Amino acid sequence: MKSVAVTGLGVVSPFGAGVKAFWEGIASGSCAIRPITLIETEGFRCQIAAEVPAGITGSGRRSRADRIALAAAREALDDAGIARAERADAALIVGAVGGGMMETEAWYWQRTRAGAAPMPPALTSCFPSSHADVVGSALGLGGPRETIVTACSSGAGSLALAADLVADGVVPLAVAGGVDALTRICFMGFNALKLLDPAPCRPFDRDRRGMSLGEGAAFVVLEDPRRAKARRARVYAELAGYGMTGDAYHVTAPHPEGEGMARAMRVALAQAGVAPGDVGYVNAHGTATLQNDRIEARAMRTVFGEGRVLVSSTKSMIGHTMAAAGSLEAVATVLSLVNELVPPTARLENVDPEIAFDCVPHKAREVTVEHAISNSFGFGGQNVTLLFRRAG
Amino acid sequence: MSTRVVVTGAGVVDGHTSGLTSRLLDETEARRLSRICQFTVAAARLALGEAGLDARGDLALLVGTEFGDMVSTIAFVDGYLRGGPVGVSPLLFPHTVMNTMAATTAIAVSAKDLSLTLNTWTVAGELAIARGAAMIRAGRIRACLAGGADEPPPKVVQTIREIGGGGDVRSDGAGFVVLESLESAQARGAAILAEIVGMAWRALPARPHGIGRGADSKAIAAALAEAGAGAEEIGHVYTSASGDAEREAWEDAILDRALAPHQPSRRALSLAAGRHSGLAARVVVTAAAEAGDGLALVHAVARGGNQVAIVVAGPGARRERSSPRPTTERALA
Repeated sequence: MKSVAVTGLGVVSPFGAGVKAFWEGIASGSCAIRPITLIETEGFRCQIAAEVPAGITGSGRRSRADRIALAAAREALDDAGIARAERADAALIVGAVGGGMMETEAWYWQRTRAGAAPMPPALTSCFPSSHADVVGSALGLGGPRETIVTACSSGAGSLALAADLVADGVVPLAVAGGVDALTRICFMGFNALKLLDPAPCRPFDRDRRGMSLGEGAAFVVLEDPRRAKARRARVYAELAGYGMTGDAYHVTAPHPEGEGMARAMRVALAQAGVAPGDVGYVNAHGTATLQNDRIEARAMRTVFGEGRVLVSSTKSMIGHTMAAAGSLEAVATVLSLVNELVPPTARLENVDPEIAFDCVPHKAREVTVEHAISNSFGFGGQNVTLLFRRAG
Repeated sequence: MSTRVVVTGAGVVDGHTSGLTSRLLDETEARRLSRICQFTVAAARLALGEAGLDARGDLALLVGTEFGDMVSTIAFVDGYLRGGPVGVSPLLFPHTVMNTMAATTAIAVSAKDLSLTLNTWTVAGELAIARGAAMIRAGRIRACLAGGADEPPPKVVQTIREIGGGGDVRSDGAGFVVLESLESAQARGAAILAEIVGMAWRALPARPHGIGRGADSKAIAAALAEAGAGAEEIGHVYTSASGDAEREAWEDAILDRALAPHQPSRRALSLAAGRHSGLAARVVVTAAAEAGDGLALVHAVARGGNQVAIVVAGPGARRERSSPRPTTERALA
């Protein structure tokens, strides 16, 4: 794959709106996982998550998720300095899962319990594709528009598909990212699977007890490097390769040897023409479930060798933001290259002995890295690895 | 020269063929999978069977869907509303994510390359086929199943009508085409059902969930350019008409302008059968079969503005194509 330039970043995270708040939060190892306020939690084992704080503005006719997506995408385009006239041919690829389900759930709950309920305007935004339609329409993005649903790797997948379109010359630039707002379905489902820790999650820790949920959105602007250079745009990093693979193994469990995960990492390395030894940092999927962390470590060991890279989990600070996770963590990875600082894994006290990597506990690490990867894995064995190269 | 993409198999399971499903699933699949996942697995096996492709690791999968497994999602939610936290089914939860059909199908046919679920109104199947063809053309994947699946619950369809989402006639079903390179198909002596000679997808200006005012189409022009063909070479058009009068009028205006002054005949399978995302597979092979040694256009547009154009050549067409892909230089111009 020809590299594409990352020229704009936009984030709405549990640390608030904006890339700056997000980076300050994760670089300092802060934890945004708190008691849930948005939905009822009575009777469930876990009652915490990393919610986006109040203050995301926008029309009340739009779903909360649409408003979060729009704020992040707008910041990315503004950051890249892309004027409205330049957007007519720009692609928009969105990774999504929950759509505007939160509002639909509220309506359905009320209708079922009370027998009737007025239909809210946001009901039209129930499905994942709503985000792309809202963002594309509001920001004037007229190129190819896609919504991909690959569970928890959706956000990362959106960057991969957008990079294809730019690298192939179909479009000069693309806006790509993932979004998910907290939903009752997601909260209840992971509770039922007993995958949620009642306390804030502890990725890679020997005593970890499961994940924490989160919500947010992150978008990036991907651009043909020659175009970026011609307009003297700031280039944060290059997306130099990606791997997308399937386990074809189990609907919820990853392949026990991490075969599909390792294959995704290898494909990304091959696409970028980068040797495993040239990668200095892995922003791991790192959910803090017993299974995922060990299997991901196994896959990383297969690809990079034991202990050969720094590894950290952004989810230790913002929870698992589902479809947004891959793009939020891609932004974290890009910023780690730019700022020469690897964000930490929060609350990591005793590393699981089966995870033979330096997982950057508690405190960010100052280090210059030339290449870094971001891993994202989803239900259905949907593995995505993005490989970023430091801007030259 | 970029890779030529051909269709070597197709399988659709819906109202006409749903009786086939039980013969295409094993006992565990028949017991455990939801109805729409059963349809999807069965359609995938039908398509692979026609293509003569065995299950293999380097197969990719692209599933377009409007609704995902909404039947299971409603059952999951109703479990909670009836029984509280103890009524929540961990077995149903994975089906609430729209990629459940892709996940179960990938397992069933051992598809270990990328697996994409694409969600959009009324053009999801066409989009999956266009995306799959573009990936093969670019050399990113070797072969794929591309199509879609839907099982819209009647109360969801009714709600969509009530909130102004259009009056499309919907149905249940799944369908796929097998896409691979011409070189690969010829090497294994596969019968060629169609060639995808041009594909493009774009967003037309329209408010979310609404009909656009304009009729200019970038997707049709891009697909024709990729095919190296003029509008006058299109023998007929398959549209996405499925009972939403406003959207159909918009699509007619788009086609009128894009193909003028040439106006090939138009038809729509979904008008007779009801729309589901898997129908796109049937549309592509039907359009190609009718095209003979000529070209046909498969076109779809959705409320909100998503538009897909696929130029297909019939199995009799053997002309060499220059395939002038849109390049960065042209995009930048």
